[in-house]
Amino acid sequence: MLTKDELERYDRQIMIKEVGEEGQEKLKQARIFVAGAGGLGSPVSTYLVAAGVGVIRVVDRDSVELSNLNRQVLHWDEDIGRRKVDSATEKLKKLNQEAEIEAIGETITEANISQLVAGFDLIVDAMDNLPTRYLLNKVALEKNIPFFHGAVYGFQGRAMTIIPGETACLRCVYRGVIPEEKFPVIGVTPAVIGCIQATEVIKYIVGIGQLLTNRLLVYDGLNMKFTEFRVKKDPNCEHCGQLAGDKK
Amino acid sequence: MSVKINIHPNLHQFTNDQAIVEVNGNTVGQCLDDLVKQFPEIRRGLFGKDGKLLNYVDIYVNQESSYPEELAKPVKDRDELHITLIIAGG
Repeated sequence: MLTKDELERYDRQIMIKEVGEEGQEKLKQARIFVAGAGGLGSPVSTYLVAAGVGVIRVVDRDSVELSNLNRQVLHWDEDIGRRKVDSATEKLKKLNQEAEIEAIGETITEANISQLVAGFDLIVDAMDNLPTRYLLNKVALEKNIPFFHGAVYGFQGRAMTIIPGETACLRCVYRGVIPEEKFPVIGVTPAVIGCIQATEVIKYIVGIGQLLTNRLLVYDGLNMKFTEFRVKKDPNCEHCGQLAGDKK
Repeated sequence: MSVKINIHPNLHQFTNDQAIVEVNGNTVGQCLDDLVKQFPEIRRGLFGKDGKLLNYVDIYVNQESSYPEELAKPVKDRDELHITLIIAGG
């Protein structure tokens, strides 16, 4: 049940006929796992907390560095040296004190990932490397948790939504690996992609609109072009090809 | 068959900054061969030493994934190819 304050805080989005009070209530009940509190994690977490999502667990192993501040907008000059999850939690709580933010300053590994995501409804991929994205994809499939992918490089970005057992997964689309590297990026790129991921999360929770499934959305900020690529579930995919109980 | 290839921005260094290149070929592989003929340096951005497409390079034909046929996938006159590279920054 929404409180009087919540009805006022979320008035403008409750006015959206597809959201309404019922949708707002769903957002309040949602528990979101956000992997990463950096360039993508900043806008994703900010807009989910602003929208009234009930619980967000933010996981990031890093501390804030000066070179993060061009894009990781949850972290400010005064935060340099702090754990990113602590800096993020403080800002997100200031934005919306009703939101429950769980901060975990750990590295996501094969050993802890299952426990980290346990009890969460959705997983957001706001990571900065492919191996951890693949771990997230795999655990999302195993636990039947919808997974929201995003990635950036320079002025380029991409996003895709994965519904386990129904749609192409990240591994159906990406078969390769690239080495972890220091990548170029300007803050507006993760802002665009992170907001697309947050939009997908909100739509999924409320149960509205058409999700970015079986479609890889590629953003080219330099030429201000969005291109949509059609992708299919790969029957031989090493992550989802043999998934038991696959829905056709 | 005349086909347009949209080149991923990270590969423009090999195509004199051309974002789109016109090629000829009946398959994705033949189109890429023609691209390499026009811009030999792009070979190392697309293929490994074993001559196989690098596993972080994806080819789309008319915005549909060419996987699993990839190089063997047939193309028609005026088809449009996109060469994309996996990105992983966050």
